Amino acid sequence: MDYNPTIPIWVQVSTMLRRQICAGTLSPGSKLPGGRDLAAEYGINPNTAARVYQELEREGICTTKRGMGTFVTQDENKIKEVRTQMAGDAARAYLAEIHGLGLRTEDAIRMLETAEGGKDAEK
Amino acid sequence: MTKLLKYEIKKTWLTKLIVLGITGVAELAFLLGLCLKDSSAGEKIIPVSILTLVMIAFGGVMVIGIQSVLTLHRDMNTKQGYMLFMTPRSSYQIVGAKMLENGISIALSGVFFFALGFLDITLMFARYGELAELWKRIRELLDMFRVEVPITPAGIGAVIFASLASWLATVTIAYLADIISSALLNGKKFNGILTFVLFIALNILMNYMLRALPSGQGITQLVVIGVGSLVFSVIMYIASSILMERYLSV
Amino acid sequence: MLKSEELTKKFGGKTAVDHVSMELEKGHIYAMLGPNGSGKTTWMKMAAGLMKPTSGTVSFEGMPVGLESRKHVAYMSTEPYFYSWMTIRDVGQYYEDFFDDFSMEKYRQLLREMELEEEMKTKTLSSGMAAKLKIAVTLARDASVYMLDEPFNGIDLLARDEIRRCIISEAAEDKLLLLSSHLVEEMEAVADRAVFIKYGKLVEVRDLEEMRLTDGVSMADRYREIYGHTEVKQA
Repeated sequence: MDYNPTIPIWVQVSTMLRRQICAGTLSPGSKLPGGRDLAAEYGINPNTAARVYQELEREGICTTKRGMGTFVTQDENKIKEVRTQMAGDAARAYLAEIHGLGLRTEDAIRMLETAEGGKDAEK
Repeated sequence: MTKLLKYEIKKTWLTKLIVLGITGVAELAFLLGLCLKDSSAGEKIIPVSILTLVMIAFGGVMVIGIQSVLTLHRDMNTKQGYMLFMTPRSSYQIVGAKMLENGISIALSGVFFFALGFLDITLMFARYGELAELWKRIRELLDMFRVEVPITPAGIGAVIFASLASWLATVTIAYLADIISSALLNGKKFNGILTFVLFIALNILMNYMLRALPSGQGITQLVVIGVGSLVFSVIMYIASSILMERYLSV
Repeated sequence: MLKSEELTKKFGGKTAVDHVSMELEKGHIYAMLGPNGSGKTTWMKMAAGLMKPTSGTVSFEGMPVGLESRKHVAYMSTEPYFYSWMTIRDVGQYYEDFFDDFSMEKYRQLLREMELEEEMKTKTLSSGMAAKLKIAVTLARDASVYMLDEPFNGIDLLARDEIRRCIISEAAEDKLLLLSSHLVEEMEAVADRAVFIKYGKLVEVRDLEEMRLTDGVSMADRYREIYGHTEVKQA
C-alpha cells in the first residue's frame, strides 16, 4: 500500500473506507475487520487503525458494538450525507484546478461534458 | 542445564566420531596383524598399529579437551554465540554445561582407551602365551623410572584418575584464560600473547599448589593430585562464570 | 517498558552509544532510525543483554536486563547466527528447548507463509530465506518485547509486504516492538513512533502521526532533515 507519508495515515485510510462505504462496496450494516486485521490488511500500525475507526465513529458513519466489532452504519441518510460531502469536495477541488488554469466555471462544465462524451466514445 | 548439555554434545560429537573412527581403523589393523602373526606382514603391522593406538589414545583425549576450548572460543567470538547467550540461562549454567560435558567426555574417553588397551594387551599375549612374562617386563620398566605404583586395579585406576583430572584442570585453565581474553582484553594490544602468558602462569600456579599439598607415596599421592586438580577445576569454573556474567559482550 | 539511562558503549576509543536516555512504552511500534554505524545495533544488543554497557544502565520493567529479561525479550540480530549444522526444524527445536513462550505451531504456520521447508539446512539458505527464517523463529515467540534489527534486509520487494503483515500481527497493547532500519520508507506506515539516533546520541523520539498532522512532514522528511547535511559533509 502506498501512502502519502506527509499526511497522517489514519486520514488516508479513513478516506479509503469512507469511499468504499459511499460506493456501496461496503454495504450498510456490514461488519468491518477488527483493528488488528485492518492494520495487517492495510499494512499500517494498529494504533493508526484504531484511530481510523475512532474517526469514522465520530462522524457517525460507523458504530462499534461492545464485544461484537465495528459495523457500517445502517442509517442510509448518513451515508448519503457523507457521499454528498465527498462529492462536493471533489467538485471544489476540480473547480479550483480549472480556475488555476485561468478558465471559468462554464468552461469547467463544458470540459466535464466533453470528458463524459469522450468516455462514451471510448466504449 | 540438561538442554544446554544436549547442545554442547551436539556441537562436539563430530570430532568424537572422527576419533572413534580412526581408533576403529587402527584396532582393525591390530587385529588383522594378530591373525597374520607368523607372516612377515603381520610382524610389521602389529608394532605400527600398537604405536598408532597409543598415539590415538593420548591424542584423542587431548583433542577432546582442545575442541571444547575452541567451541567456547567460537561461542564468545562469532555470531553463533548469540544463539547461546540470548537464551535465558546464566553464565554459571552455560560454563557449567560446557565443563560438565567436557569432564564427562574426558573421563569416558580415558576409560574407553584404557579398556581397549587392556583388551589388546590381553589378546596379544593370549595369542603369544607369555602373559606373566609381559607383566614382569612392564614392572621392570616402571621400576627403572622409579614409579612406585603397584600394577593392581587400584594402582592403574589412580594413574588414570590423576592424569585425566589434571588434563581437565588444564582445559579449565584454558577456559578461564580465553574468557579473560574475550571479555576483558578484547580489542586490546597483545591480547593473544597476554592470554598465552596467563594460561602458562595459571598452569604453573596449579602445579605449585598441587606440590604444596601434603602427599604420601604411590597411590595416595596420585589421588591427592587428582582431587587437587578437580578442586582447582571448580575454582576455575567459578572464576570463569563470574567474569563471563559481568564482563562478556558478544 | 524498556528504559535506558545514560547508556554508553565504547569500543576502544570509539563511542558507539553516547549517554542515551529514553523510555520505550508498550503498545507501540518504534522505528529506530539512523545511518549505518549510528549505534542502533549496539543499543539493541545492550538491551538484549548480549553486550555489557561501558556505563549507564538499561532495564526491562524496572529490572536490569539479564537472565530474567531474556525470557521476555525476543531479539533478532541482523547477522545470521544459527549453528551451521542446523536445519530449519532444528532451529525451531532449539527455541522450543530454551524459550517457554515459543510456539511450535505458530512457527510452522509462519514457515508456511514464508514458503520455507523444515528440512532445509540453514547453511545452504539464500540470504533472503535466512532473513525470513530469523523473523519466523523470533515472531513465533509470545514475547513482551520484540527487537528486530534490520528486518527488511535481504528481503526482496515482494516479500516485504508479507513480512510487514507478520510483524503488524504481533503488535498488541501490552507489547513493544522496536524495528531498526535504514530503509526508512519501509517503516513509514508500520511504526507509530520513531527514535532518531545520530553518532550514537539520541536526537529525538517522535510520534509520527502527530508529526505529519502538525508539521506536515513524513518520517523520511525528518530523517533527511536530521541526517541530510551530515551525509553531504561526509561525501
